[in-house]
Amino acid sequence: MSFLDRSIREIHEAYLRGETTPYELTLEAIARAKANQDNALETLDENGALTFAKTLMDPEPENLLWGIPYFAKDNLSTKGIETTASSNILAGYIPVFDATVIAKLKKRKAVLLGKTTLDELGMGGTGTTGRKGMTYNPYAPNHDRLIGGSSSGSAAVTAASIVPFALGSDTGDSIRKPASYAGLVGFKPTWGRISRYGLFPFAPSLDHVGFFTRNVDDAAILLQALAGRDEKDATSSDQEVKDYPVLQKLSPLGYKVAVIAEIVDSLTDPVMKEKFAASVAEMKQAGIQVDEVHLPHELLSSVYATYLVISSAEATSNNANLDGIKFGPYYEGKSYQEVMCKARTKGFSELTKRRFVIGSFALMAENQEKLFLRAQKNRARIVAAIESIFSQYDLIYGPAAPSVAPMVHPKTEMNTIAENHLAIGNFGGFPSLSLPLALEEGLPLGVNLTGRIFEEEKVLALASWLESYTGLAGLSALNAKEKQ
Amino acid sequence: MKEITIDVLKDAASRLMFEMTEEEYVKLFQELSSLTAQMEAISQCEDLDGYEPMTFPYPVQTTYLREDEPLPPLKREEALSNAGSTLEGQIKLPKVVG
Repeated sequence: MSFLDRSIREIHEAYLRGETTPYELTLEAIARAKANQDNALETLDENGALTFAKTLMDPEPENLLWGIPYFAKDNLSTKGIETTASSNILAGYIPVFDATVIAKLKKRKAVLLGKTTLDELGMGGTGTTGRKGMTYNPYAPNHDRLIGGSSSGSAAVTAASIVPFALGSDTGDSIRKPASYAGLVGFKPTWGRISRYGLFPFAPSLDHVGFFTRNVDDAAILLQALAGRDEKDATSSDQEVKDYPVLQKLSPLGYKVAVIAEIVDSLTDPVMKEKFAASVAEMKQAGIQVDEVHLPHELLSSVYATYLVISSAEATSNNANLDGIKFGPYYEGKSYQEVMCKARTKGFSELTKRRFVIGSFALMAENQEKLFLRAQKNRARIVAAIESIFSQYDLIYGPAAPSVAPMVHPKTEMNTIAENHLAIGNFGGFPSLSLPLALEEGLPLGVNLTGRIFEEEKVLALASWLESYTGLAGLSALNAKEKQ
Repeated sequence: MKEITIDVLKDAASRLMFEMTEEEYVKLFQELSSLTAQMEAISQCEDLDGYEPMTFPYPVQTTYLREDEPLPPLKREEALSNAGSTLEGQIKLPKVVG
């Protein structure tokens, strides 16, 4: 087993014992990245990573992230490294500043290896709309399964054990759904918990920065490192940052957990239903209170339309600056309008254009009341229903996805309640984490925990307990057969 | 609400400053028609108007004022480094006023 297959804490201890070095590990990670066939990378910064890793000579005992290699989603600004958000309209764009999360990891001396693919500009949940084409799921070497999106490349490099963690972003379920399909811990903390300065905005009222890891402890380590107020992001919170690596070890006995029956009832996969029910029974057996609660079917069915209207409306205005003039490929024209029109026509994929038109249509004066404002009111209605549950329960437990990763060309409609409910975590800004529950014929099934805002420690503590129950800490595409 | 037609969608795309193919407009028409039907279903909820439109997950109060300290601005070379068309230290565009 390589140190790359270990947890952040284990790699740190190996550094302290002198068993390996950041340079050696970076070399090995680069070799794995080059050998990987999942189309997960926008940029591999081989020289930058090796040059930096070579400077790391003396391990810092208190700094768990010292020398840890990682990748970042390509919608996070990285100074001096091309950042395209997997869109042709940003081809060649090299930021002049680092996103706050990148700067924080740089300060902690983590080693950035490069940038990962995404659904263009973060829009989409399939991992198929980026400028480099489809990103594949490492669990399906014959490339017949989706990995999901939009943080498709970050999920792939973590599941393929190229790095122990990767940064992502989540506007609807863009970390938590691919985490489910790739057998990972995928965590988006409370909206405002982690600075979004330097994240390319898709829908700022829903956008979160988060990460993929292969165990809960690593997620707690990263949350502690990345959380906190940032004056460069007016929406970042000054709420106290807690000692998550310690708190995630606390017993969840005494927590009250709700399972929304209508979400579970919408599952059709028999293995998922059986494994989920078994996990609930195990929690109850251990003394954790788990109750079934109910929400109206129509309320849960309205999540996707509400999400699509709000996110598209926000996206269409936020991406108006992508004009092919200040950055991105320049196309000659007789007028600046022609320059812009050529850049945007050639630069955006079909799906992105459709989302922009939908958003623009929803914002037209004649339509605003019936589409945009109605969606915003429905968002409030959904969040009020969830907060009502949180008035009595600490956490909500449910499936992270209805099944294992879908085929590249799904035979069934991907539009069920269980498919779309994770966006509720974005509507209310709730901390929300996916983790693997079981393997079905070698492919991961995932579950989700969502908590009250700024109560990440409870999410992590129950996730840690569940991880002990499943025995899937450290799961990757490389060791899935052993873990089955 | 404005009726959804291919012409309305073409006008919206034009205002957004990009072009789409005829096939893409047909797909968009179907998607938007389905979406508006779903939004119409949401409007059947009797208490919907009892909720204020939600613009952020929770109220955000940012009341600090940073110290008025001069900081180094972005260098001209950096500001121009990503522009595809520049001339004499400025971004060059086609003539705007005739």
